[in-house]
Amino acid sequence: MRREDVRPLLSQAADGTPEPDLADAAWTAAVAIRRRRRRSVVIALVAVLVIGAAAALVAALGGGKAAITPPTTPPSGPPGFVRPAGQIAGIDFWIAPPSGSERYLDPLDTPLGETLKLPDDPKSLQEAPIERIAAVVLGNHSGAYEPLLLGNDGHWARAEVRLSAISTGAPLSSGAVSPSGELVAFPQPGAVQVLSVVSSQAREISLPTQDLRSVSWLPDDNRIIVSGPDAAYRVLLADGSKGERGVTPVEPSGDPEEETSPYRLSGSGGRVALAGYSIANGWTSHTAVQLPVESWVGQTLAGGGTAARLFISGQLSELPTADLQPQVVAAISLQGAEQSRLLVLGSSPPPTAGTVAPAVDRPPGCCLVLGWYDDNTVLVQVQGWVISWGVLTGQVRRVTELEVSGVALGPGVRG
Amino acid sequence: MRDTVDPEFASYVDARQGKWLRAAYLVYADLDRAEEQLRHAFTRLALRWGKVDDPDVFVQRILYDPALSRWSRAKAQPVDDDEHPVRVALAGLSPVQRAVFVLLHLEELTEFEVADVLNLSHTTVHGHGLSALNQFRSALGAGDQRDTRRRDWR
Repeated sequence: MRREDVRPLLSQAADGTPEPDLADAAWTAAVAIRRRRRRSVVIALVAVLVIGAAAALVAALGGGKAAITPPTTPPSGPPGFVRPAGQIAGIDFWIAPPSGSERYLDPLDTPLGETLKLPDDPKSLQEAPIERIAAVVLGNHSGAYEPLLLGNDGHWARAEVRLSAISTGAPLSSGAVSPSGELVAFPQPGAVQVLSVVSSQAREISLPTQDLRSVSWLPDDNRIIVSGPDAAYRVLLADGSKGERGVTPVEPSGDPEEETSPYRLSGSGGRVALAGYSIANGWTSHTAVQLPVESWVGQTLAGGGTAARLFISGQLSELPTADLQPQVVAAISLQGAEQSRLLVLGSSPPPTAGTVAPAVDRPPGCCLVLGWYDDNTVLVQVQGWVISWGVLTGQVRRVTELEVSGVALGPGVRG
Repeated sequence: MRDTVDPEFASYVDARQGKWLRAAYLVYADLDRAEEQLRHAFTRLALRWGKVDDPDVFVQRILYDPALSRWSRAKAQPVDDDEHPVRVALAGLSPVQRAVFVLLHLEELTEFEVADVLNLSHTTVHGHGLSALNQFRSALGAGDQRDTRRRDWR
């Protein structure tokens, strides 16, 4: 076979192949491809523009390099500052988490532990001396009360003292522990009982009035104000100034929990006065603020230059939810309304459809101020819990769950 | 790009589609695949119509590219007993050999033109052409011409 013979053979083998018509089909396909490419280019351009716009927006709102630019103005509050919910009578206020949510708050570390309950078998104060009192509770033994003391190191001790009930029940006052944490005082019918954890000795001082309900220490750790509804006395424990009597009557106010030292918050009907106590002049007013107080609950307890007390208010239009009798912790500063703060103890929100109302609530009178953790942190008893409130930051934390009927706190709570 | 077919493009395609379809049919041994590959090549040409220096080389490169690709070579189709003996002989060649053989002997391109179309060296085209021709002859019972030539040279 020669090379020239191949072509006819190949042509013959390909004979019968139909004649195609590919021009239109190829052109139409090319037009479709061109359109698809143009569409892809447009989509890609739009995507790039959108991504660019989003990146510019993020950068403008604080992302990108702007986020790491140091601020030119100092922060408006201390670390952990919570923005206030608003103002009542020109005073910043916060709203505490609702009742039932205490368990989920951040904890504040204290010797009180997770739960404060009566100890099973505490040693006597002589066997287990206490340096500073963190908390005092009362055990009940067939009508008589036994003081049980929790030290700043977290151990319990019982005092070899039996206390009688007073007209309101247990003889425990929020201001029972002295500023040094070494003494604790209990109101008794016609007397005041003072117990020293240093010497483990108790001393009873008789007073002319039977119905005595609360005690409050002067900062010198040497004098107590003991008060009842009809009378109040300043009691000197050791040597005083020349000519000072052991028991000096002070002017009663009718509210046995109002007579406190070094400061007291009192007044109603809109004007609240912060008064300081001095041995020479009694209570003299330092500052006054406008607050819608209907009644006070518990004693005034002071930390640094601020005094805290809880009051029941009339309806407050400033609150986001209607509450007929909101309870408010007032921390009133000596420097006036600008440095004063309020904490509204909000009640539980109403149940949503299909749920039931929570079992715990905060009825008026349930709560009171127990003391101060430090100069800026108030300790407040709410329904079944002790919580803390930072007056500078507005932060609310849980301190302990209460399984006792009453408690008085001392400076040992700081550990 | 206009929506209706360019008259010059239509004339160009009409003048070549029959010839190139027959050549592609012999290379791929599958008429549908040959037509599809040719339509694809013309579509690519339509996208660049007016911008291509040598449309013939452009189309033929795309047309025979699968035959040269390692991954999509034109497989030899199963041969029936009643198949044309030439197609049976072509089925015995490799895809590259078939492409070179068809371009050399049906399209009557020179070895240099085939090398340009298939992006192969001239030596490779020459070798494939020679071996394909001898296998084709053997398959059709015409003997191996290389032996004859060797005898002539002596």
